[in-house]
Amino acid sequence: MTLLQREREIIVRNEYIDHFDFDEVKEFISGASKNLFISHRFKNSKEILVQPRGGFPTYDKVFELYKEFKDANVDVLPLTIDSNTRLNDYATAKKMLSLSEANDTDMLNGYPLVNHGYRTTRKMITHYDTPVSLRHGTPDARLLIEVALASGIFEIEGGPITYLLPYSKNFPMDKAFLYWKYVERVCAEYSKLNEPINRESFGPLSATLQPPAIVIVIQLLEMLLSLEEGVKSFSVSFSQTGSMLQDIVSSNVIKKLARHYADKFGHDDATINLVYHQWMGAFPYNREYSDSLINTSTVIASMIGADKIITKTRNEAFGIPTKEANALAVANVKYTLGMLKGLPKVGDEEEEENLTNEVHEILEAVFNDGADTLWRQVFNSIKNGYIDIPFSPHIINANKVITVRDKNSNIRFFKRGSVPISDKSFAFEKSKISLKDGDRVVDKIIQDIGIML
Amino acid sequence: MKVVTGVVGNDIHVVANRLIDISLAERGFEVFNLGVNTYLEEFLDAVIETDADVLLISSLNGEAEGWCRDLQILKSQYNFRDNVIFMIGGNLVVGETTAEEIVPRFKSYGFDLVFHQVDLNEGLDQLELFLKASK
Repeated sequence: MTLLQREREIIVRNEYIDHFDFDEVKEFISGASKNLFISHRFKNSKEILVQPRGGFPTYDKVFELYKEFKDANVDVLPLTIDSNTRLNDYATAKKMLSLSEANDTDMLNGYPLVNHGYRTTRKMITHYDTPVSLRHGTPDARLLIEVALASGIFEIEGGPITYLLPYSKNFPMDKAFLYWKYVERVCAEYSKLNEPINRESFGPLSATLQPPAIVIVIQLLEMLLSLEEGVKSFSVSFSQTGSMLQDIVSSNVIKKLARHYADKFGHDDATINLVYHQWMGAFPYNREYSDSLINTSTVIASMIGADKIITKTRNEAFGIPTKEANALAVANVKYTLGMLKGLPKVGDEEEEENLTNEVHEILEAVFNDGADTLWRQVFNSIKNGYIDIPFSPHIINANKVITVRDKNSNIRFFKRGSVPISDKSFAFEKSKISLKDGDRVVDKIIQDIGIML
Repeated sequence: MKVVTGVVGNDIHVVANRLIDISLAERGFEVFNLGVNTYLEEFLDAVIETDADVLLISSLNGEAEGWCRDLQILKSQYNFRDNVIFMIGGNLVVGETTAEEIVPRFKSYGFDLVFHQVDLNEGLDQLELFLKASK
């Protein structure tokens, strides 16, 4: 038995799950319907796949939610996991699930997949015969992804950086890297049986004035960490920046560089997809404005040639949307996409050159770190502030980078901290910023965060 | 002037915490930011360790009272130097309560300056005035 398999046997021996039958799961995945694999859809579809967000505590409510989504012609179903499961607290999740079932109220903010188990959940997934994407935020997702894959969920979101820096204050990052290595290896192993399991990184990060160069660097590093374990289908992602130009520039650069670095590291057989998140910052308290924001981001997703778009709803500012509102959002995005076919490719040479340079400069510093493995190089680079995201709660994040918007709403480095972009690149960024005399930077930041309010 | 700051209790609202950090630095303070999810004892330890002039606790999720009501008791167990200023601000309680009711309550817990749902700049202006007056 391999070392990995021994670890897996230990992970699934857990009092909160029934007996885990690896042979049966292997057989299920080998014979699973191609329709469950988003990697198969990516290969055979030219259209942008539409995926909402959503998850409820009970099986029945998720079943109904999926029905609503299917009626709206959804392409990819989401399964959002509750916060206790994300922290591996299956005892609390179990208690809250039984309270939710007994009282018909939602005591969890998502689906406690581990407690439901794969035998139950698989019935729902195979019933709808549609790809499902696992959305969570878990630093130690080992048991969760075993149950997910066994259920027929063949896309796993997250990564050691993107599910840690925005979500945790002090979960040890070296552990996160090793736990995610397990996830990549299990995905890689199952990928040999049928169509590939797709892994997706979480580009929005803290969704607050994130500089595109840092977002792209993190996307490329999580991609390489995944591919080096044998994953064959990977999605890089980012969220709407608030500037259409910057979205277009980011998409052109990330597409070009993802392919470049995947090939450079010997992964030319891997498929790389692009995912676009509709606005992840604060939404207006006005449903009509929200509709406009959502429509605009749908147009941008088409302009940038995204392979998948993840949707928001007009009720975003008011809390978790009802299944009807959520399905309506899917229908509207599909309707808008119907008008947006065969768009011309646009770009901005100067902006793309600068962003490309910044990404290369940061990655060069990461790869020059003296550590013996890629994950250690990345770990060290975060520790010493080469990679530094604004508004992270995590203690390892340097918090020295400050970003503001320029007059066209592009996000620019105001302070670069220890991020190793060159003086020339930094001068380009600074040249775009216009702060009036006496303007306080913090007031500008507050204004820039609330740009859509 | 040294300031220790952070968000008290199991509160992870990081955006305001970063803005406070940046604002204080802009106003010339030396900032020791303990970040989100910080317990009262950790704040007091940091004040001693850094020899800070000001402790600025913030809170957004409305749970501040439960985490801070023992400040007076803890203060007597620590050996603070004179004139350390204890300040708290943010959204201090769950539900709708007026500042007139909240401010005296938090002052009785041992805070010198209390700001409930007050604009960040306004709160920091008040801190600077208070510092000038107490010199």
